[in-house]
Amino acid sequence: MTELRDTNRAMFWRIVRRLLGANRGRLVVMLLALGAGGAVTAALLNLQVDAKRRLTTEFRTFGPNIIVAPRENSVHGGSPETLDESLLRRIPQEWYQRGIKVVPLLYLVAEAYKTGSDRRVPLVVAGKGGSTMHVGVNGPPFESLISCDVGTRVAAEMQLRPQEKLILQTRVREQPCNFNPTSATGGPEDDQVIVAMGAAQDLAALPGRAGMIELTVPGTPQEITNCIASLRQLFPDADVRPIRQFTEGEAKIYNRINGVLTATIAVVLVLTAFCVMAAMTNVAIERKMDVGLMKAIGGATRRVVRLFLAEAALLGLGGGLIGAALGILLSIGLGKAVFGVAARPRLIVYPVAVGLTMLVAILSAFPLRRLASIRPASVFRGEA
Amino acid sequence: MFFRLVGDSFGRRPRHKLLTGAALALGMGVATAALSVALDVGDRLAREFRSLGANLVVTPKADSLPLEIGGVDYRPVNAGAYLPEADLPKLKTIFWHNNIMGFAPILEVPVQSWTPASQTAFAPKINNETTLIGTWARHAVAVPDGGTFLTGAEKTNPWWQVDGQWFAEGNLECVVGQNLARKSQLRAGDIVNVSPKENSSPAVALEVTGILSTGGVEDEAIVAPLSVAQRLAGKPGEYRKLYVSALTKPEDAFAKRDTKTFTPAEYDRWFCTPYISSIAFQIQQELPGTEVRVIRRVAEGEGQILSRVQMLLWLVTLAAMLAAALAVGASSAASVIERQVEIGLMKALGAGSGAVGFLLAAEQLLLAFVGGGVGYALGIVLARWLGEKIFGAAPEPTLLVFLVVLGLAAVVTLLGSAIPLRRASRIEPAPILRGE
Repeated sequence: MTELRDTNRAMFWRIVRRLLGANRGRLVVMLLALGAGGAVTAALLNLQVDAKRRLTTEFRTFGPNIIVAPRENSVHGGSPETLDESLLRRIPQEWYQRGIKVVPLLYLVAEAYKTGSDRRVPLVVAGKGGSTMHVGVNGPPFESLISCDVGTRVAAEMQLRPQEKLILQTRVREQPCNFNPTSATGGPEDDQVIVAMGAAQDLAALPGRAGMIELTVPGTPQEITNCIASLRQLFPDADVRPIRQFTEGEAKIYNRINGVLTATIAVVLVLTAFCVMAAMTNVAIERKMDVGLMKAIGGATRRVVRLFLAEAALLGLGGGLIGAALGILLSIGLGKAVFGVAARPRLIVYPVAVGLTMLVAILSAFPLRRLASIRPASVFRGEA
Repeated sequence: MFFRLVGDSFGRRPRHKLLTGAALALGMGVATAALSVALDVGDRLAREFRSLGANLVVTPKADSLPLEIGGVDYRPVNAGAYLPEADLPKLKTIFWHNNIMGFAPILEVPVQSWTPASQTAFAPKINNETTLIGTWARHAVAVPDGGTFLTGAEKTNPWWQVDGQWFAEGNLECVVGQNLARKSQLRAGDIVNVSPKENSSPAVALEVTGILSTGGVEDEAIVAPLSVAQRLAGKPGEYRKLYVSALTKPEDAFAKRDTKTFTPAEYDRWFCTPYISSIAFQIQQELPGTEVRVIRRVAEGEGQILSRVQMLLWLVTLAAMLAAALAVGASSAASVIERQVEIGLMKALGAGSGAVGFLLAAEQLLLAFVGGGVGYALGIVLARWLGEKIFGAAPEPTLLVFLVVLGLAAVVTLLGSAIPLRRASRIEPAPILRGE
């Protein structure tokens, strides 16, 4: 009994092999159609996963999107409230690894003049801390001459030339600095002089204080909302708010782009599947003769159908394995072309794409079920 | 006879033709839908990006440096320069006036604000030093060539939310930033008095029509009609800063070049492309004495993301077209392979290889045009549906896509059948007819 089953099984695979090898041209055609489908599926799936992540990173060219500012309690004119820089230590280390940038800032009004000129220009000096973890311990040591980024409008107003020195003066001290030109941003930076945090703190006589903290948080709108919630817990006594101009606009745009991508890819995948199926079915109908012959020599309908399904599954596997591999390679190249960084191949995409290709192949063999009910005699007589 | 043969082939085996045609139609449907979306998405997304607000800022050239910290300008009102409001309609006369989506002039005045209740002896004295921002909420600008253009902060700062209503132009009304409203216990319908800090203009009582939340410095300020701010500042018909929101084309390497190095032809090309720099230049020409700066933070990110998304979609489209082409090619190859017996018979009856090839190619082409046409219709329906779902507006069907799709269908079917056709033309009729 087992022997018979073994022989049967051997025969089954032998027939499948013959079916596959019978017509080289047809085999190539089927593999081509299935492979193309597999390649597109794999490439698009891989690209879609990667593109979403890249886009959220791309959005950060807009700059910071969250602000932590002192909560004001009845300010009476005078100097605005400030935050203690040591608050920065509360930010967990792993945030920095997630690519979150944290910049403490301190603004003050100072007068600036050039050496050898008595024209004094009142302007805003911004102290900018580095995005490092050890801020707040000690600002950079006081240097006699620092470098400062001078906004374009300040440079124009003061008629600064390269290599000229600029002196910033407040009530408490004077700070000479080297003029470092910047390019126009269209933002408030154009009207400011940006110096290192420590220098600004010295100028304002506010050691260890920051006016506000700017955070640049990459991620989906949902991730940013979560980040704001955890920041509010970290800084219960400060005012944490999103820069709505960017968070809201971004959320809108992200959803749109995501929609376009997902919809386009879904449509392409579904139609590609139909397309491959139509091509496969076209080939499958040609098998009428084979089916007639098998039935004539005593093949049961179920076994005949199983034979053809096995053939289709094998073809799907072959086409899928080759196509999906090509597709993933393609998506790496595409990712590089679009975002300048190669898309990381996701291993999960490979089995999914192969599985989908097999599914399409098996589905497209289904019209054969109808063939299984044909009468062999009429086929051999040449009737349709 | 030729047409009879072609017609016969279609009539005799309808199911075969139907399947090949279906593969073609689906493939071309994919191509059409993807192409239509990709062609349209740039414009649509550019419009979406305007939800980030203004991308150009106009300031007087002779202005002194603003001393603004946390939204409070420490500069005296008399310092600096102002611009005439009467010039603003000229913005809609520049070459790219249709790309100007909105603009709003700003005039800020440092003020004291108090509520009538705080003047009584018993109520807590709520007296704030704050900034009054004068602007347009929804202002109808009379365009020089007739008609009006509705613009204001609603267009340039779409993320501003008003709980209640915007103030009406010309009335003594205002909206109050949410933080200031909380501090002063102001609600919609209340009256707030403001008087300028630095000159002797009389105080003005404004009715609060809504509470403004922006997430920015405006949360601490009062936003009122421009005319109110002009009255308080003693600067009738003037403003200090203008925000412009313009629809632009992402800057490429060409747009980043210095305009001074352009040849006249290049200069014309630059001028006639809606690059942000050329729009800025045109505004500067139209409004003398101004400095127009690009808000890099908004404009640069926008251009970068826009070009990336567009490229991504083009690649998806290309991949879709490639897959459709391969599947269609495979389908038409299959339909030729299966007709070896027929080809053998034709040759046995005396048809030359050329005639057979021509006949089959004509059949395939006919199929390609029918399938391509059906696929185009299918794809357009699909693209419309997608467009409405995602952007709320359907892409316009273009002749270009139709021609591309038909051409693609013809090329793909011919290529797909080329190899089997060549083999078919070399077929020896005898072995085929014998069934070998």
